[in-house]
Amino acid sequence: MKRFLPALVPAALAAALFGICLGDPYFMDIFILTALMGTIAVAWNLMAGFTGLISLGHSLFFGIGAYVVAYGHVGFGLGPLLTWPLAAALAAAVALVIGLLCFRYGLRGYFFAIATLAFSEVAFLLVSATPWLGRSDGMMMPTEDDAARYLQFMEKWPYGLIVLAFLTATLLVGQHFASSRAGSYWRAIRDNEGAAEALGVPVMRYKLLAFVVSAVLTAVGGAFFASTFSFVDPRSTLGVDLSIQLLVFSIIGGLGLLWGPLLGAALLIPLGEVLRTAMSGFTGVNIVAYSVLLMVMALMLPHGLGGLLKTRLPRPRLGARTAFRQEDAAR
Amino acid sequence: MTAPILEVRDLGKSFGGLRALSGVSFAVPAGAVFGIIGPNGAGKTTLFNCLSGLLKPSGGQILFEGRRIDGLRPHDICRLGLARTFQIVRPFKGMSVIENVMVASYGRYPASADAERHAFEALRAIAMDHLAGTDAERLSVAEMRRLEIARAIATEPRLLLLDEMLAGLTATEAGALCDQIVELNRRGITIVMVEHSVPVISRMCARSVVINFGSLLAEGATQDVLRDPRVQDAYLGSAAA
Repeated sequence: MKRFLPALVPAALAAALFGICLGDPYFMDIFILTALMGTIAVAWNLMAGFTGLISLGHSLFFGIGAYVVAYGHVGFGLGPLLTWPLAAALAAAVALVIGLLCFRYGLRGYFFAIATLAFSEVAFLLVSATPWLGRSDGMMMPTEDDAARYLQFMEKWPYGLIVLAFLTATLLVGQHFASSRAGSYWRAIRDNEGAAEALGVPVMRYKLLAFVVSAVLTAVGGAFFASTFSFVDPRSTLGVDLSIQLLVFSIIGGLGLLWGPLLGAALLIPLGEVLRTAMSGFTGVNIVAYSVLLMVMALMLPHGLGGLLKTRLPRPRLGARTAFRQEDAAR
Repeated sequence: MTAPILEVRDLGKSFGGLRALSGVSFAVPAGAVFGIIGPNGAGKTTLFNCLSGLLKPSGGQILFEGRRIDGLRPHDICRLGLARTFQIVRPFKGMSVIENVMVASYGRYPASADAERHAFEALRAIAMDHLAGTDAERLSVAEMRRLEIARAIATEPRLLLLDEMLAGLTATEAGALCDQIVELNRRGITIVMVEHSVPVISRMCARSVVINFGSLLAEGATQDVLRDPRVQDAYLGSAAA
């Protein structure tokens, strides 16, 4: 149980925020968006922060999730009960293929980032040109009589509840991996791949694991997006801006910290909203202000906001625990 | 003589037109402390990289406990019981010392508690247990060297390849480390060490090979090998002969 504290504490905080936002649909909207983006950023960070694999193409998996749900609904009348798992499975398969290709040929660092970006851009162009996926206009999912089965609710709060569950599950999955052998191997690969391999780490297998876990969680986020907004289009679900946002949230929040990206999203998304409303008279000024703030934060917090917080939190280190046990043994 | 734990047969490695190793054959008896000597650029590290699977040999065979390992992936070779250290230390800088060693012990002990306990034992074997909680990037050069060794022994090898582990250490640090290597050997780990310091090799290794320009120059008892005129010429310079 104690092992899961880094997942449960942020989840509890998110639940509290959900409670606060319950009374106001506008706040609930912001909560849903923040929790969704923050959760996907957590998934992205499992690759980037933990394994050292920077993906600039995660919108591909978000898009897969969104389009499987949308097309499953529009084309076959399928509900989320079927399309969500289908989306996750398809994302896993795609990640496996892309991962095998990239890792087989030793793509690392910038080259891996560019390759993932290329795959997502190809998907963007393909979908934008495919008639039965609505081309660049996107797809509207019709309202059904049997609304609940399609996760179609009149009010916002059920979506807030679902995204809260998604957030909690993602944190738990992330913490499960981070605090076990997989997490140890991931960090070893991030810090020195050659040394990890020489110490018996099956590098290929664990890179693929990170990629697939991250892709599946991102696809579930995309599936949630489609079910919530009943609308998908290439720009909002497959665009590169989405991938960049995940990177920004993670860097500002703290790379390599499980809950760091969540913190980044929780800070930046409401901030963007506040700036937008406060400067509504001057188009574009809010974006300038947002960018300046981003730069200041990046300069002042090299380890992200989470890194700053972490140094002030008591942290039980593995070594400290062992040394303590040794003292016990000596006694 | 005991059966060889490691046998190298006619090993060759070329990088494009450059022949880094050619026709290298020797055998390491189980339980030995075995030395590999040679001037800079002779191919010692290339040999280690071939043995540990980081490089694929261009020709020849490598047998570990009678089983061919040339062409296997590094992590598979490690799991079989052949571990190595790097001359240029490669700590996982984002982790503490014990976390570094746990990466190695997880291979045999998938559960975190077991991996942690065995990692701690490996640290104790190299007298580093007091540094378990320290961030790896804060260690001194000598401590990073020991961390390399602690990680290697945490994979529970039967054969340990040490690549110039004494380079850059003070005489005191080097002496202490040598004693610990001897102790590891006494516990049953066969040691193969590449080392520049001739006194260290002649004190620690009963048998040695000398490599020069990628070929085997001499093999045998260390004292005889060091007296070989060709070795003196190549390694120590003709003035020493």
